Amino acid sequence: MAEELLKNAETDETEELLEDDSQKGMFMTFQIGKEFFGISISYVNEIIAMQPIAAIPEVDDYIKGLINLRGKIIPVIDVRARFKMEPCEYTDRTCIIVIDVKSTMIGLIVERLADVDTIAEDSIVPPPSLGRKEHEHNKYVYGLARTGDTVTLLLDPEKLIKQDDIAAAVEDVRKEEQS
Amino acid sequence: MAEEFNTESMLDMFLYESGQLLEKLEGIILEKQDADCFDDADINEIFRVMHTIKGSSGVLMYENITKVTHKLEDVFYYLRESHPDDVPHMELVEKVLAVSDFVTGELDKLKNGDTPDGDEKQLVEDLDEFLGRLKGEIKKQGIEMPQANRHVEPTQFYITPVAGDDSHFYRISIHYRSDTQMSNLRAYSATYALKEVAEDLLYTPDDILSNEASADVIVAEGFHMLLQTKSSKEEVIALIDSSEAEEINFDELTKEEYGNALGEFGREVAEPAPAPAAVDTKEAAGEAKPDKPKPGDYVVKTKEAGKGKTLAKHQPKQQSIISVNVEKMDSLMDLIGELVIAEAVVLQNPDLKVPGLELSNFQKASGQLSKITTELQEVIMSMRMMPLTNVFQKMKRIVFDVSRKLGKDIELEVIGENTEVDKNIIEHITDPLMHLVRNSVDHGIEENAEDRTAVGKPAKGKITLEAKNEGGKVYISVKDDGKGLNKDKLYQKALEKGVIENKPMSEFTDKEIFRFITLPGFSTKEQVTEYSGRGVGMDVVVKNIQSISGRLDISSVEFEGSEMTLVIPLTLAIINGIVVQVGNSPFVIETASIKEFVRVGEDSLIHEPSGEEYIVLRGECYPFIRLNEKYDLPDSIDKIEEGIIVVLEHEGSQVCVLIDKLLQEQEIVVKPIPPYVRKVKGLSGCTQLGDGSIALILDIAGLLMHDGERR
Repeated sequence: MAEELLKNAETDETEELLEDDSQKGMFMTFQIGKEFFGISISYVNEIIAMQPIAAIPEVDDYIKGLINLRGKIIPVIDVRARFKMEPCEYTDRTCIIVIDVKSTMIGLIVERLADVDTIAEDSIVPPPSLGRKEHEHNKYVYGLARTGDTVTLLLDPEKLIKQDDIAAAVEDVRKEEQS
Repeated sequence: MAEEFNTESMLDMFLYESGQLLEKLEGIILEKQDADCFDDADINEIFRVMHTIKGSSGVLMYENITKVTHKLEDVFYYLRESHPDDVPHMELVEKVLAVSDFVTGELDKLKNGDTPDGDEKQLVEDLDEFLGRLKGEIKKQGIEMPQANRHVEPTQFYITPVAGDDSHFYRISIHYRSDTQMSNLRAYSATYALKEVAEDLLYTPDDILSNEASADVIVAEGFHMLLQTKSSKEEVIALIDSSEAEEINFDELTKEEYGNALGEFGREVAEPAPAPAAVDTKEAAGEAKPDKPKPGDYVVKTKEAGKGKTLAKHQPKQQSIISVNVEKMDSLMDLIGELVIAEAVVLQNPDLKVPGLELSNFQKASGQLSKITTELQEVIMSMRMMPLTNVFQKMKRIVFDVSRKLGKDIELEVIGENTEVDKNIIEHITDPLMHLVRNSVDHGIEENAEDRTAVGKPAKGKITLEAKNEGGKVYISVKDDGKGLNKDKLYQKALEKGVIENKPMSEFTDKEIFRFITLPGFSTKEQVTEYSGRGVGMDVVVKNIQSISGRLDISSVEFEGSEMTLVIPLTLAIINGIVVQVGNSPFVIETASIKEFVRVGEDSLIHEPSGEEYIVLRGECYPFIRLNEKYDLPDSIDKIEEGIIVVLEHEGSQVCVLIDKLLQEQEIVVKPIPPYVRKVKGLSGCTQLGDGSIALILDIAGLLMHDGERR
């Protein structure tokens, strides 16, 4: 019986691995302006329609505020504003991608969703650099992928939500606990 | 092998249980600290606590914990069996507390993922010496030592696993050195190591874990094992820890000899079971358990089961309590909050508002639903409440320790320890309270008893720790009948430190002068002691209390004593708030901090050239904040006549805030602003309103501070 149990545990594990594998190479793509962007689907928790946002004063302007996701209060950021592009009106195509980065839940406002694509690893190329230091705009784009006749910019969500934001937040919380 | 110990979860269990047991132990000790001796029930209880901790730490191989608890258990075993007179009670109390501290320290190390490496030698020696003295006394009285109680092992049928052709049979005898501590546990660790490779393992004495006396037997007669295994002799030898062993005999047996030897080990051999894997060797060979293992049973963790059983026996009271992960509680609370909102959405659904619709049954049902949800909310709230008992117990310990160290005779009176407070708050008040109590013992009560009797007070100092629940707030006071605060001294010190400009003393009220002691770096104690006097502390106390929106009240009469009172809210999770609107954003203000709402005209407004504005109300001048400007909110009212002025008060200072309109008053569940968003001054959290929208909670202290900084 013991062996059976062990065997079961093993198959469970392999199934898990398979599931992980099936998510590998899959990207949620969305459109901002004319560009297509993609984030690895393993970060994506869910996609919700645009909803009322409670603004928070005195924060960076790309942080749009807080939304109530079934009792959980999560911050949302406007990806357009994050890329320092001109803001645009929210339409009914606008939606919020809820991502989970290192157990921080954050909503990303995107103009419109495109698709879920499988992108083979070998078709991803690093963003070309012109010899100069990486442009500030580029640092959260870690790769370019060609799908059909469009180029998708692959985003690193951890960089997108700006690591030092979280570091600062953690620092703040720690300070508070100490005092 | 499949039946490996799950050390991780065992460690968790061990930490949790031992923590609980130690708390209980300390409770007993402190309760009886002033008595002449422990009564039988206490001795039994302490004995059992030590025994349980020893057992589980032994299994997890934390030798230092095992040794210390074992020694203390010895002491109490002796007390229990011999009832000696003239036990130095105070010394005993100290010994128990020392052991409890030692174990607590080691447990803390374990919790932090360190190895428990505390040195137990000193403690063990002390206990040995103590026990020796106790016994010495008893021998003089000519009473014999009681025989250790041995319980009779029930005869069990034993089913030998079928031996494969390549199985080897060994008889192993280990003789330990005569001074070996807890040879039974060493023997156990040997059996544990062998189980890894054993197809079958028998040993005698076979009650090594459950019976203390087996240690003596092992030392005297050696520890004998019968082993059936596929491993070679060398492999087996390598597994046995031989550090304390004097001699290890190792004989290889034939199958027949092995069968005969089984008989020697006091087992009746039954028919061999069909499947070799069917028998749990540990179950069969190990502890004396009434339930026989059935062939085919797969027992995962017999040891844990055994431990659970002893625990259940020891702590009948704890059975009705389960400990729940706080995260689960929080998510339950969130869900209930959701439920309440969903309920509102259903009951006030616009679809129902068709003219002429007959809904009497629906109304009845919805009334019932609201009743249940309200009750549900109350229950979850009450689940977060915990009595202050544990906190107060810690204080008892501190008074005990500090007063003894300083050589002061102090009695502690505790009132209202069953007062219930939100769990979050308890976490925040423990340290401040500890500090206050320490201060009272150290500074409050006079150095010498003569100083007390000279002013007509009893020689024994008295500290009263009191908690009560009044008007939605909890008052916890630490009162001593010591020398009280000296106003002149405080004033002089404040002058020296330059915290007050040369204002005469008459300009300060008593309260203001007492408040000086909460300033950073302010200590009137000339001599810094181990416990207090460095002047860091009172300011930290005040800060901690403020962080949970509480306050510290100080009152004192010189030569009669002083009283420090913490006034804290009952719960942090729910506040009674007023929802107001500025522009399009709702804000929540805590009702308790609102002094009044007024409408004033432009003529009450004073403009400073710098752009600052003040409002004059009934001849008094208040700072004025336009929330819409401060937070840059569009579409809000600018004209002061059209809006409403809220006068807010926090710790004696006031501020006026302009808002657009009042929405409602309600109980709100406070949620933190997600840490991703940088902390905004003047906001303390957010909440969900009845319609699911989010409102920000104004933090009055933050507003005032921010305003002060700007100026």
